Formats: sequence, structure tokens, C-alpha cells
Amino acid sequence: MPIYGDLGNKLVQHAKRTQNLAHLPPYQTELVRAVTREVRELDKDVASLLEPYQGSFDPSADQATACTLLVNHLSMRRNKRCLLAYHRTRTDKLEELVWSGADPLDLAGLQAGAVNDAAAADGGESSSLSPQEEDYFRQYGDLLAAYKGQWTDIDLTGSLEPPRDLFIDVRVLKDAGEIQTEYGAINLTKNSQFYVRQGDVERLIAQGYLQKLG
Amino acid sequence: MSYYDIDSILTDAEKIPCTFQLDVPDLGYLDNTPTQPLKAGTRVNLPLWLAEMLVIANSGDIEGKPFVTFDLPPGLGNDVVQALKADPRAVPLRDQSPHFYGLAARLMELLDEKELATVLRKTFVVRASEIALHARKVGGLGQHKGKSAAEEGCNLGIGGAGEDFLRGLDESERKLFRKAHDGAKSGKEWMEGIKKH
Repeated sequence: MPIYGDLGNKLVQHAKRTQNLAHLPPYQTELVRAVTREVRELDKDVASLLEPYQGSFDPSADQATACTLLVNHLSMRRNKRCLLAYHRTRTDKLEELVWSGADPLDLAGLQAGAVNDAAAADGGESSSLSPQEEDYFRQYGDLLAAYKGQWTDIDLTGSLEPPRDLFIDVRVLKDAGEIQTEYGAINLTKNSQFYVRQGDVERLIAQGYLQKLG
Repeated sequence: MSYYDIDSILTDAEKIPCTFQLDVPDLGYLDNTPTQPLKAGTRVNLPLWLAEMLVIANSGDIEGKPFVTFDLPPGLGNDVVQALKADPRAVPLRDQSPHFYGLAARLMELLDEKELATVLRKTFVVRASEIALHARKVGGLGQHKGKSAAEEGCNLGIGGAGEDFLRGLDESERKLFRKAHDGAKSGKEWMEGIKKH
């Protein structure tokens, strides 16, 4: 028979695994729901235990009840900590993703998940984020954009590696449309190759549209 | 130790043997018998997050006795302590508990066991220097055998005699090893980068 808090522990073990992964594994909707349900049950237990006392419970007079209440309370507190830590681990990861220019594959997954939930249920290409996390991701992205907007001549999310050359060879991995550069417009079609200024395409490299050669 | 620290939460889940000091009708489920009351004197393994407070509760009163008393878990038992006294490096701490030091530190707060604390402190120091040694060896491989060997060394972690020792590291020691190893490696990379320019 599992004791209270076992489910929360599973959640934290998921979080532990998440810490060592590059991507974000699927959100544990069921587990989170089960843990919150457990908290609600515990709260109900506490309420019914205290009911006969009408607000005048004396712990030293009834040790057994006091002990049960303490165990229930601790279990709820434990579950709360597990839930918060699980979500915090994931939001930390999300913020990291936003700062690194967000994996577009992940974004594509998000949209696919939103459009056809039916396919998602089949275990196909679906979002690994909860709807709340998607909101968080989007809004954090907006925040970061607003913050970055204060400095037009510095790209805060740019590469920290000092460039060796001003110009680089790149190959286009995915169609990225037309971009404007100082030297005119370039049409980035798949499998083509260009010699461009690094500063112009840094974002596209980070997002996986272009691959740096050499 | 932050509230959100995953390892700290997992440490909290480590179980220690406890004995209930009073009858509690509603807690039978802790002893796998949800329909029966929990009798005084019942021994159950409780996670630290539960045991700690049950031990502390009521201890403030003069007459009050704690709800439960606890014993040291087998991982900190006499056998292990004797082995640690003989040679800290020979004991795979991970087999005792993946969060060996975290658990030990928490129990030391509840107990007054000066001798055990001394053994643990010495264990940490001796093992830490051994860890540092292994971590540097991995980084050093490349200098003798060229770059590919260095990369190989990183992927494998480490081969040969040290393998058993490294497998027995507890979670905090693993972190220590990784930090020492990454530090040595980045140091080396930086030195090589300088030479190029």
C-alpha cells in the first residue's frame, strides 16, 4: 500500500531526469492531477477529524488525533513542495530555451499539438508542454523581447563566442524565406549555400535554419 | 539547500526505521494495515520528511514524549561505520544510499553522535581527494595519447581500477567529480586556445 507522498516523489524523480536532458520531456498531467487530488483528500480528512472538536482541539489531550493531523499536514506540505519543485524545474528549462533562441522544432510541435489534439492523443507529434507552460513560454519570450528592445545596438542573446571571421559559409537546412542584409536580399531556399556576414544570420543558425560550414 | 532543490527533496524521501510510541487508530496504513489501528511499538520505515517532524513534535514539553523514536538506518549502521574507519575509499556509499551525505547530515542534526560525525567528516575528506585525483586523471589522458584519447576518456568516464570507486560515489560526490573534471578540462582547453593565437 503506497503511503501519501509516494506520487509526489515520482514527480520529483521526473524533475531529476529533466535536469540532465537537453529537451523538455512530456508534462506529467496525470501525475500532477493525482498529487493534487491526494492533497484535497488529505485536507478533507483533516476537516472531518477536526469537526467534532468545533474549533477547540487540544493536542495534548488527544495525542493520537494530534499525531494523525500532523502526518496529514506533513503529507500535504510534502506534496506541495514536490509539485512546486517539479514545475520550477520545467519553467527554468523553458526560460533557458527562450534565451537560447527557442528550438523551432519544439515550437512546431507546440502548434501541431494545439491544432489537432486528436493526433496528440494518439501519441504522435504532440506538445510536451502543458497549456499553462505554453503560455509561460510565450509570455516569457515577450518579456525578453521587450527587455532586449531597450538596447538596439547590442544583441543580448547573441553568441558569446568572439567571431573569427566577419563572413562565413552557410548551408540552408530549411527554407527560411528572404532576408534583408546590407548587401541586398538573399533568398534562403533549402540546400543552397551562401557566403554571408555572420551577424546577419546568427539567429537563423541558432534556430537551426542554417548550418555553418568550415 | 533551497526549497526547490531536487536532490534535497529526494534526500527527504530516504527512509529511516522508526518506532511509534503511541497507539494511533487512523495511521494503520503506514504499516500496510489500513483497517487496523497502529499500535505503540510498531516499527515502520518512514521517509525523512515525515519522521523528522514526528520525532521533534512534542519534545518541547516537559511531560510530552515524541510520537516516534528512530534508529540509524543500516547505511549508517555499525558495519558501515567500521568499514569507513578502516578505509573510506573501499566503501561504495551509493549502495548505502544515493544521498548518503545528505541523509547523514540530516540525522546528525537530530542526534548527538560526535564519533559518527567525526568518521563521516574524515570519510568525506579522504574520498574528496581521491575524487579529485580521478577527475584530473581523465583530463590528463589526452596529454599523453593525443586528442582522440582525451575524448575517449571523457566519454567512458574512466576505465580500470577507479571504475568501482567512481560507481560507488553518492550523488553529491558525483557532482564534485563532474565539477573537478569539467574544471580540469576547461583549463586545458583554455591553455590550448592560447597557444593557437
